[in-house]
Amino acid sequence: MATTDGTTDSRQPLISIRNVCLSYGNFQALTDVSVDFYQGEMVGLVGDNGAGKTTLIRIISGIIPPTSGEVYFDGERITKFYPKKAIDLGLECIQQTIGICDNLSVGRNYFLGREPTKRFFGVPFLDKKKIRDASAKVVHDFGLRDTVDVDDEIALLSGGEKQTFKIARAVTFRNRVIIMDEPTNHLSVRERAHVNELAVQLKQQGLLVIYITHDIFQIHRIADRIVIMENGRKVTDVPRDAMSAEALEGIIRDGGRAPAKGPKPS
Amino acid sequence: MRKLLRRTDIGIIIGCIFVFALFSLWNPEQWFNWSTISNIGQYTAILGLLAIGQTFVILIREIDLSVGSVYGIVGITFAGLENSNISVLVAFILAMLLALLIGLVNAVFVIRGKLSSMIVTLGGLFFYRGLVYVTTHGAITGVPQAARENWLAQLFGGHWLRIENGFLLLLLLGFLCAVTLYQTRFGNHLLALGGDPASAESQGVPVDRVRTLAFCLCSFFAGLSAIVTLTNEPETNVSLGTGMELESIAAVVVGGTLLTGGRGTILGTILGAFFFTAVRSEMIALGAPPSWYISFVGIALLVVVTINTLLAKRLKST
Repeated sequence: MATTDGTTDSRQPLISIRNVCLSYGNFQALTDVSVDFYQGEMVGLVGDNGAGKTTLIRIISGIIPPTSGEVYFDGERITKFYPKKAIDLGLECIQQTIGICDNLSVGRNYFLGREPTKRFFGVPFLDKKKIRDASAKVVHDFGLRDTVDVDDEIALLSGGEKQTFKIARAVTFRNRVIIMDEPTNHLSVRERAHVNELAVQLKQQGLLVIYITHDIFQIHRIADRIVIMENGRKVTDVPRDAMSAEALEGIIRDGGRAPAKGPKPS
Repeated sequence: MRKLLRRTDIGIIIGCIFVFALFSLWNPEQWFNWSTISNIGQYTAILGLLAIGQTFVILIREIDLSVGSVYGIVGITFAGLENSNISVLVAFILAMLLALLIGLVNAVFVIRGKLSSMIVTLGGLFFYRGLVYVTTHGAITGVPQAARENWLAQLFGGHWLRIENGFLLLLLLGFLCAVTLYQTRFGNHLLALGGDPASAESQGVPVDRVRTLAFCLCSFFAGLSAIVTLTNEPETNVSLGTGMELESIAAVVVGGTLLTGGRGTILGTILGAFFFTAVRSEMIALGAPPSWYISFVGIALLVVVTINTLLAKRLKST
């Protein structure tokens, strides 16, 4: 990106949201939101209920198109919004309630939508051996119980194990962006620590991690940058070190009225 | 053993063994009579084909109430075309294309119109049945003798080694559908869609395509069932297939497929169809008034679903 003084920012944002608005009829869900996300960073997306965090994520994951404004992925403008497009670009959204089908086995969930096949008389059948072996390796690498059999229904896993499973799946399919939508809700203290640890590892591996949460203190410990939203607008966008968690909490509590704009991120 | 008990169709497997043993001991001369066996085979095929199609739709949490009328209109179309000197092959292809088209229309209303499949197919139930009345003016048509001797008609309605071809077709297609459901990507996508639509979509499963295929398969099997019926037994009338939609749903549910989607087997569905057909045949043989059969379907449905639910709960808690 060219800056005003003529030099070029060495880092091109992986995802760039520019002046995005979204309205449902008369309701303005997002108003003129502009934000950049870079590879290898973890961004905490914070705000109260109805602030527009999830709406923003729904646009990024291709579920809904914006009413106006532009979205760029790796420098290229996105004109068509549909979930498969986001998946093909290497973007995975990890949500509490979505992502795994309880009626399928661990292995089948692991490869859902990307099932490997083996041709038999020209007809593609599921490659069950590959499904079993590859998913077994991954779930155990990510620290799931040894007693978990990948042929078992995934419903047998605990909440934390399911979150870990989703992250493991997202990582091993070489994704570039992992969006975590309140990934630690309803998890025990130990499970929460494990999920956060994984999130940091993802960032260190060079992925972009967008972490949505209500808990400013939790995210302030691990994120590189904090973006606060309020009433469909971005009100704060600061590097972690620029403000304390207490100060950020104050902004959220006051409905974004405190310093309307924080210092620009590097 | 645990794995066996976990099967959704364990109830109907036991039920069929029980019914088979009971009738063998109770009324062996009648039960092991070849004409009884071949009759049961034929009617199991008719209901079973309808129910296999219905299974795909129920597995994705939808329902198709139009299959009885689709069965009727495809059958009447096939018979009507036969009577206007069109070759059996062409009549068959046109009739089956009509079936696929109806499936497609159902899917379009459900997906694009975002309507409940129960409403869409209930509309279909009335519309296609009405169409049958309007086009035939209530007159009874049948497949002429010459057409019935055609190789294709024989393929569906004839017999081989004294076994009705319809029954062999059911076994063949049942096997192919079971393989499709559990060994292919489409099958995995269908099960995922039935288990959790939002999750399936979030992982890139083409949910609209899978839904469309499920509705088309359902109508296709209803049409096939009509062809199997008419090529075997040429007499027909305008009420052909009335009430079959509910019988097909009963066979699927008794066969262990859950109305909440995502779990079920083709084997269970075929056994469900066999169960109802065998009991009906035996009730007639024993001289019970045929009207009792309807009450029996209701009781069997409640008993089997209760057992399945209890089993599922117990297995979940252990």
